[in-house]
Amino acid sequence: MKLDVQWAAFGIAALSLLVLPMISTRDPFRALPWEMALMLVIPIFLHISAAWDPAEGAPKWWNDLTAIAFSMSFATVGFLLTVELQMYTDVRMNRPFSVLFVFMFTMAAAGFWKICEYVGGLATGDPTIGDNETVMQFFVWALAGGIVMGFVYDLYIRAMSDSRRKTLGFMHLYEVAIWRNG
Amino acid sequence: MAQRLSTLSRLMQLGMVAVAVAGPLTGNTTWLPAALFSLFISEVPSLLRRDLKLVLPVELNFWIVLALFLHVVGGYSGFYDRVPGWDHLTHVMSASLVAALGFVVVVVVDKYVDSIYLPRAFLAFFIVMFTIAVGVFWELMEYANDALAGTHLQYSLDDTMVDLLFDTFAGFIVAAAGANYLKSTSPDHFVRLMNVEAAKGKLKGVKDRALGR
Repeated sequence: MKLDVQWAAFGIAALSLLVLPMISTRDPFRALPWEMALMLVIPIFLHISAAWDPAEGAPKWWNDLTAIAFSMSFATVGFLLTVELQMYTDVRMNRPFSVLFVFMFTMAAAGFWKICEYVGGLATGDPTIGDNETVMQFFVWALAGGIVMGFVYDLYIRAMSDSRRKTLGFMHLYEVAIWRNG
Repeated sequence: MAQRLSTLSRLMQLGMVAVAVAGPLTGNTTWLPAALFSLFISEVPSLLRRDLKLVLPVELNFWIVLALFLHVVGGYSGFYDRVPGWDHLTHVMSASLVAALGFVVVVVVDKYVDSIYLPRAFLAFFIVMFTIAVGVFWELMEYANDALAGTHLQYSLDDTMVDLLFDTFAGFIVAAAGANYLKSTSPDHFVRLMNVEAAKGKLKGVKDRALGR
């Protein structure tokens, strides 16, 4: 059996992001907004489903789909970071900076992911990273996903209704939503 | 120290001029555009100083010229093909340069934009993140260049990944150095040393003139 350490780590990280607010507020109804939870879970689902036919391997479009979902998922983590830094630390960002942050985070996470995969492949002698072309495709999707999701999350936070923001109050979405234009 | 660094910078610029002159004479003009462009870039800090009164740290000036020098003169001498790891050396140079410029910009933004506050630890994190992101972007540009212009900038996957690995190292080193620097110097002092206030005034003047005020 092959243990997919990297994806397991991602899964555990995603799960902790999901339960963190519940634990910190001791309220089981204060989970992440469902759409964000979905964003975190989709790439994992796509990745494990890619092994439905181990002999053939997944088709290219499936890998692209996984890469797109994955970059959106990185962007989601980046966005959660902006919100939680605002909540738990002295860090203050404004709108343009937070959009830039989500974009940068997505690119950096994609790069870091591939570096880990590469080094892991060298260490175990069983590379899973593919060729240069595959890695570059992954980065192209990270670039696209990062730019798009940076703006999407900005719109998202502005479009959210006040009542919903109050329900999800744990994230200080309230405070973040009134980020001043610097 | 400062004097010595600027003398060294001048010498390295001279080296690039030599490449620009030697190229056409020997019929090897591959590196001519790079040499001319690098010479221009290496003069940008002086231009900023003259026209905007903005003073970049001497070490940063030196680093900029050194990175360009290694790229151009090393490239002209065929080091990219002959010296193992030359490619990675210049990558570390350019990545640390990007990280350092990112550091300067972020400190200035932190000082001048009221709605942004970036503590030291976050600054270090941001620099690492920024450097890896730019590294990925750089590789994408090389890839695009290879695909569109038929060049051969990316040799292999190993090469690309080791580039990224070195970029990451450079990011960590600059982030640590920057955070360490800010331990003894306040961001305010750093910004004052660069004379950003005067540059801001100059920029405002340029903007006003452009808008016809």
